[in-house]
Amino acid sequence: MSSITNDSEMRQAVDALAAPVQRVLAARFVANVLSLSDDSRLQRVLDTAARPDAGEDELADAYRAAKAAALEAHARCGADGEWIDQAGYFVARAAEAAVAPQIRSYAKGPAWQAAMSARMARTCLAGEADEDTHDQESQAQYRILTEYLTEASNHD
Amino acid sequence: MSAPSVEKGIQFIREQIDAPVASFFSSCVHCGMCAEACLFYGQTGDPRYTPINKVEPMRRIWEREFTLWGRIKGLFGLSRKVTEKDFAEWETLVYDACSLCGRCSLVCPVGNDISGMIRKIREGFSAAGYAPEGLIGATTRAIEIGSPMGVKLPAVQAQIGHLKQDTGLEAPLDQAGAEYMVLLSSMEIMNFPEYMEAVARIMKQAGKTWTISSKAFEATNSGIQIGASDLARELVQRVVDAAEELGVKTVISPECGHAYTAIRWEGPNLIGRAYKFKVQHILEVLDEFRGQGLLKFEGKETAKMTFHDPCQLVRKGGVIKQPRTLLNLVADNFVEMTDHASMNWCCSGGGGVSANERADELKFKAFRQKKSQLDELQVDTLVTACANCRITLEEGLEEYEMDIPVVGLTEMLAEHLVEDKQEEQA
Repeated sequence: MSSITNDSEMRQAVDALAAPVQRVLAARFVANVLSLSDDSRLQRVLDTAARPDAGEDELADAYRAAKAAALEAHARCGADGEWIDQAGYFVARAAEAAVAPQIRSYAKGPAWQAAMSARMARTCLAGEADEDTHDQESQAQYRILTEYLTEASNHD
Repeated sequence: MSAPSVEKGIQFIREQIDAPVASFFSSCVHCGMCAEACLFYGQTGDPRYTPINKVEPMRRIWEREFTLWGRIKGLFGLSRKVTEKDFAEWETLVYDACSLCGRCSLVCPVGNDISGMIRKIREGFSAAGYAPEGLIGATTRAIEIGSPMGVKLPAVQAQIGHLKQDTGLEAPLDQAGAEYMVLLSSMEIMNFPEYMEAVARIMKQAGKTWTISSKAFEATNSGIQIGASDLARELVQRVVDAAEELGVKTVISPECGHAYTAIRWEGPNLIGRAYKFKVQHILEVLDEFRGQGLLKFEGKETAKMTFHDPCQLVRKGGVIKQPRTLLNLVADNFVEMTDHASMNWCCSGGGGVSANERADELKFKAFRQKKSQLDELQVDTLVTACANCRITLEEGLEEYEMDIPVVGLTEMLAEHLVEDKQEEQA
């Protein structure tokens, strides 16, 4: 299994995975930024998302919890937005993407959506500083995906 | 803006009483139709929330100072002056119980623009210092920082950089001579970064040049919401200066209802001249591109969907057909709510209500109207075209434990672009 080194490879690899597999992978992407949120519900969401055999009801509960966490953490219209607080919002959105029902057939898959929100969460930490936390998270995601694909190919 | 005072508030209200306002008060026939059309009255039954009652302090000033009968009554002590107590009592009626949705104005049988008068009376309340903390803070930040939510240019530049890094798409900054200048709302920058990606995808496929101005990227105008024309004017002027400096042909208002009203309809009146460029909502631009054959979509969603009409865009802005035409391009099962288009019901968070934490309880009561519309339809997805509506709808759905995802139309259309898929494969 060759390493994932850029977004194009990552996107291709992720899109080739079935939805339940994407969900498990998405959980790993979110786990990498989970420390940026102080919402304890999200760990339980990830526990469910990470299980390949999670049932429909469990996923529905996890989705509701993640959605509620995202709503509670969003920047209110007209409020003084704090980027550091906003990191928690994007972690919750990443978790929500991992377990969301796939209603729109043309929407991006759960793993890609979770990855993008996780990058945004990391970026929020940098705030207005010129630190490239976004790239750091991208690199971490390439590594997570490479490890995941290696594990999967070893199982086959 | 000088220090607020009740005297100043009364003076500001007095200055708002022009010929249309005088004729509106003279012609009101007390039919009560505005009450039936009001979300806040309808969902609470509280007579204080009758739209025409919300402008009662203005009516009293008009009667007392601008009518013969009122002046005579005043001489005999038969009419009451507007006092600080009135400002305190009416503040929540003017700001918390009105989303400036304009439904009352639409149904008024004698054509009174009651919503417009509430917008005007807010000028007096703001000048008197009787405005919600949330709106005061947002307006202060908008003037001092350039964004009601304190979003600064480096944050926008960071998003532009990430867009390039993640997708290879460009969002050009300060490109003189571009055809379009795209405005963003702080809500999109902070909560929905996917909007910028959607615009970049669409512009690329349409083959149009576009830019974001570093001097005026913010679309929202809290001066309009709080009712402070001097501040609203300053915010509009920033956009006008940036657009004219860059020489763009069109300024695109984002998925934000009141931003569209501010820049498209109120803007030229505020600055006292016509623009040298055109202003369009993003959905107007998308529909124009569609009509010119510049956008190619593929696939249709089979999930049952409905469209929530943002009041400022649809009822007040007249952008009615475009969202429906666009939605039908990518949705096979699009259904309308009972009251839709110009007769839609507000999400309950417009006109600054969502920025006003004090109004939350009332906002959720008012949301019951939307809930009943959605209960009737039983849709799988709710589509809209305003970031503020989107968050308000999500909050309302959460409050009433309704599991319906809410999505922005521009973002959904971008998902269906043919070129989008081809590029990704490449």
